[in-house]
Amino acid sequence: MAEYTKPLPAISTLNQPYWDGLKQRQMVLPYCEACDKVWYPPAPFCPDCWSRDFRWQAVSGRGVVNSWVVFHQAYFSSFKDDIPYAVAEVELEEGPRLLTNLVEVANEDIAVGMPVEVVFDDVTDEVTLAKFRPRKG
Amino acid sequence: MPAGNLKDVAAVCGVGHTAYGRKMNRSQIDLAGEAIRNALDDAGLGRDDLDGLVVSFGTPIGADADTLAYALGLKLRAYNQTWAHGRFTASSIQWAAMMVSAGLANVVACMASISFSGFRKPMMGGSGDAEGAREAGGGHGEDPVFGMTSPGAGAALVARKYFDRFGATSEQLAAVAVAFRKHASMNPNAVMQTPISVEDHQNSRFVCEPLHLLDYCLINDGAACVLVTTQERARDMAKRPVCISGMQGLPAGREEFIWTYPGFGTSQQTAFDYVPGPQPVYGMADVSPKDLDALFTYDAFSILAWTALERFGFCGQGEAAAFTQDGRIELSGELPMNTNGGLMSEGHIMGWNHQVEIVRQLRGECGERQIPNAQLIQWANAYGDSLIYRAG
Repeated sequence: MAEYTKPLPAISTLNQPYWDGLKQRQMVLPYCEACDKVWYPPAPFCPDCWSRDFRWQAVSGRGVVNSWVVFHQAYFSSFKDDIPYAVAEVELEEGPRLLTNLVEVANEDIAVGMPVEVVFDDVTDEVTLAKFRPRKG
Repeated sequence: MPAGNLKDVAAVCGVGHTAYGRKMNRSQIDLAGEAIRNALDDAGLGRDDLDGLVVSFGTPIGADADTLAYALGLKLRAYNQTWAHGRFTASSIQWAAMMVSAGLANVVACMASISFSGFRKPMMGGSGDAEGAREAGGGHGEDPVFGMTSPGAGAALVARKYFDRFGATSEQLAAVAVAFRKHASMNPNAVMQTPISVEDHQNSRFVCEPLHLLDYCLINDGAACVLVTTQERARDMAKRPVCISGMQGLPAGREEFIWTYPGFGTSQQTAFDYVPGPQPVYGMADVSPKDLDALFTYDAFSILAWTALERFGFCGQGEAAAFTQDGRIELSGELPMNTNGGLMSEGHIMGWNHQVEIVRQLRGECGERQIPNAQLIQWANAYGDSLIYRAG
């Protein structure tokens, strides 16, 4: 495997379970026992009701494209060969929105509202990224 | 009325700036020093009259407040600085208004010096943007892991959502770029003075699609400075005061995303139909949007003019695309916007160049691009903060 040169996530004591989950091919997010909400990005207590009573819970990995852009300029040299590449904001069925790259779809076929599902991309031995591909709605 | 209402208590007594240009290769301290001296000259003041400083954009693009005090020999009783974002223009003026009202300083220079050519590694996106890679993401929706970088990419995300949700088009967005360039064509200090057409806009390359190059602000050098004092003091100075009549702070939280208003549905915002509630800036200034002679806004990207207009209720949600057509936001239109040419065509001085223009419009100093008898002008932004200035 060629050396991975793209930026890697800022893994912290707070978001470690999210990244551990992806490595095990599961998307987990903080879930509030008090108000029944799932949120992103990770926080030390529920940003909605401020309860500390939360756990990491598996989510569906399904969502829709909320918005998307296509980069025609290479800001990172490591993305130069990907130009023009798309970045999507995916809204999960559970509510939170994640930025991601889409796979198995041409840029011209992307649309707002397009149903997508998570795929796991092991970019290094330590890091797995959540990317998304089209699914039947 | 809140206790300690500051309506018209503070005023701008002087403005100054440098030439604006690309790759000027001038020292940031040099640029800042020239803008400060020009502002003091404008007010008829000397170095010893200046005892406060608020800098809204320092390292790595501009000179920091402490550097300026030390290198220029300022004699400050109070200073402050925001971190390096353009969104803090109104906040800086608001701090200055509070400083002079509270007696912490008599005359406060509010400013930024900008030298995009003064450092090698671009920080507006890419590997030089350390903030974009911070835990929980950058301030404009950056997530470098997926190649999501630069302030413009977050604006592109808003533009796509806007086009989809309201059936608007990039051709309609061109009207903003065309209007601001038209204004810049009447401004000898503007970096870009050649008029553009909708076709030019459409033919310009995509940077982050759906935004074209001509939806983006300029990357340039220069400095601009606004002197804030009390209205009472300003009355004894060289120029007619421009009063700070209304103020509205910079909101933040999960229902906010930097480039749009609540309810829009970007980042973690709840999606709902937005109806602007009472905007405190109008109440404080005791005016309504209909009283305004012009509107100025932070136009880092054309789409921000639309989201600012809708946020403050100049038109309904989804209506800015139509509202900005047919010259309505041009000099001779119903609501002239950014008569200096804005960040998109005059130059990117982090909104300080807009404050200079507002003051000059209210003093009647704008020559060819003067709004006849301008009395009341608002600075209002997509991210929700605002100032209302009144000719004193």
